[in-house]
Amino acid sequence: MSSKQSILHALKRVAVEPQAMPEINVSPRLDDVIGQFETNLGAVAGTLHREAGLSGLQAKVDELIAQGQQVISTVEGITGNRTLPETAHELKDIDYAVIPGDLAVAENGAIWVNNKNLGHRVTPFICENLFLVVKADTVVANMHQAVKQIGLESGEFGVFIAGPSKTADIEQALVVGAHGACSLNVYLT
Amino acid sequence: MSTNHTSGAGSATHAKKAEIFCQDEARVDWHSKALWMLREKRDRAASSIPEWEQLRELGSQLKLHTLTHLDQYLEEFEKNCHANGIQVHWAKDGAEHNQIVHKILAEKQVKKLVKSKSMLTEECHLNPYLESHGIEVIDTDLGERIIQLAKQPPSHIVVPAIHMKKEEVGDLFHEKLGTDAGASDPLYLTRAARAHLREQFLSADAAMTGVNMAIADKGAVVVCTNEGNADMGANLPKLQLHSMGIDKIVPNLDSAAVILRTLARNATGQPVTTYSAFYRGPQTDGEMHIIIVDNGRTDMLQDKILAESLKCIRCGGCLNTCPVYRRSGGYSYNYTIPGPIGIAVGAQADDTNSIPWACTLCGSCSYVCPTKVPLDKIIHHHRRLKAKAGKLPYGKRSYMPLVGNFMASETMLNCSMSVARTALRILPGAVLKPFSGAWGKYRELPIAPKSSFETWFNKNRGQ
Ligand code: SF4
Repeated sequence: MSSKQSILHALKRVAVEPQAMPEINVSPRLDDVIGQFETNLGAVAGTLHREAGLSGLQAKVDELIAQGQQVISTVEGITGNRTLPETAHELKDIDYAVIPGDLAVAENGAIWVNNKNLGHRVTPFICENLFLVVKADTVVANMHQAVKQIGLESGEFGVFIAGPSKTADIEQALVVGAHGACSLNVYLT
Repeated sequence: MSTNHTSGAGSATHAKKAEIFCQDEARVDWHSKALWMLREKRDRAASSIPEWEQLRELGSQLKLHTLTHLDQYLEEFEKNCHANGIQVHWAKDGAEHNQIVHKILAEKQVKKLVKSKSMLTEECHLNPYLESHGIEVIDTDLGERIIQLAKQPPSHIVVPAIHMKKEEVGDLFHEKLGTDAGASDPLYLTRAARAHLREQFLSADAAMTGVNMAIADKGAVVVCTNEGNADMGANLPKLQLHSMGIDKIVPNLDSAAVILRTLARNATGQPVTTYSAFYRGPQTDGEMHIIIVDNGRTDMLQDKILAESLKCIRCGGCLNTCPVYRRSGGYSYNYTIPGPIGIAVGAQADDTNSIPWACTLCGSCSYVCPTKVPLDKIIHHHRRLKAKAGKLPYGKRSYMPLVGNFMASETMLNCSMSVARTALRILPGAVLKPFSGAWGKYRELPIAPKSSFETWFNKNRGQ
């Protein structure tokens, strides 16, 4: 018998009575979802820019480029000074990546990013700093609502990003900037 | 480096190993405090969600549903993985898991593998196996990397280097990574590790991660980290591998949402992990493999009480709250996974037969568990199994025949747990202390709750 067969065979004899799947019906908190999002994004060490819009973001990007930073953008309307390289490894010196998020979650500050908008899958992780652009009308209350809307086609990759990379592995001291981006700024449009 | 910690592989009783840890009183206090901080953060995060108890109940029910339909869901998962271009492998035990991984890596002539934290690969002892076959394995989670460089096993499932002081990490990094002598600033050390590990990510031939959830109806796996190491790893080389226990399956995205809401809140008090990544297929020109592992899990499912331990989502919450774990350290449990959940899933493998007694039955673990794993009930059941098999640990034989019979009775189960709680409350410490082993020799006994949380909840809040 193959291992698969023997595992499936053993699973015919689970001692617990079969249980029904519960109905997942959790009421969302709909009051001021953007305010909730801002608070929770702050709690995970990200920053929300509510008013600046795309023009504010472009001005920020121009300023960074003038300072000699390497900026790549996959957001329509935002121009950086780097184009998408052939291989993912060539992204290793990117200082800032500007990426569109598909939706944002108020209860925890997370933003869903799909690989269709990344160039390479590793872009939001390998960059030193990350800018995410989110449309205000895509902010949902909680994860239950978020998963109803996320696009994840066959073969794809997607990720909820909640703040910059962080760790507390050395004596529980929180350090922002482990392996992924060291800062996260979110621009609402 | 501290020499106080012996490897988890030895065969000394829990009390013996705890005694080693307890000798350094300052370290014990510090360890206990660090973990209690996590428990407090967890409490704040949980109470900020009005539907917390509803989420725990949903988590419990959906895991129980999945566990009682695992054969169907695993087959559905495999079928959907194939449709997404993912290759699926099945392993009955750790040895087979390791062979499968090695075969995949050898075919691609992989020299360097970057790994993100996975208790399953620890359970299978994958690293030494691959290293013996000439493959360099780099653990990339900071805590994991620290203990890998220190040649130690993890002492906690979420914060694996929790037992180490920053000065010890500083000395280790000075020796291994060339950081400044005497430097112990966590920011400085973390930045040094970041630079060192970037080199590893960029030069790896393959990546391997554990799996937090496998979504049956999508054929996708979910990997959660705060550092982004799993995703830096998996998205650079063209070859990605994911190891998962059969218990990681959930039916659909709706179930994943429930668990994503409780996992990080219960682990560290964060609203969600920084990165919750969903892989539903390999990158362009890449290969993605999933290895589904049994390694004793189907056996556990044949026991009604032990089966529930497979509801665990490995948040570590029960370790952080456990008064025994906090004061005896992760290396005293004779198993890769320490603390209450470690007893639940590891007691049968413990040849000293002592770890089911590394517990006061205070019930705090069951109270914090986000999927309602009845840990105290399971631990109690292990005592009963050991008693029935005549395998009571040394030092307990004298009074255990009586207690053993008492515990061996199914109907007395809940009753005796409340006896333990009452005893802790009313008996003078001097009477109880001799029974609490090495831990009680150096510490005061905990203040036990008046009733289990279930009882309290049913009486005060339940309908
Ligand atoms: S048993 Fe519960 S509390 Fe303990 S690690 Fe597992 S899910 Fe977390």
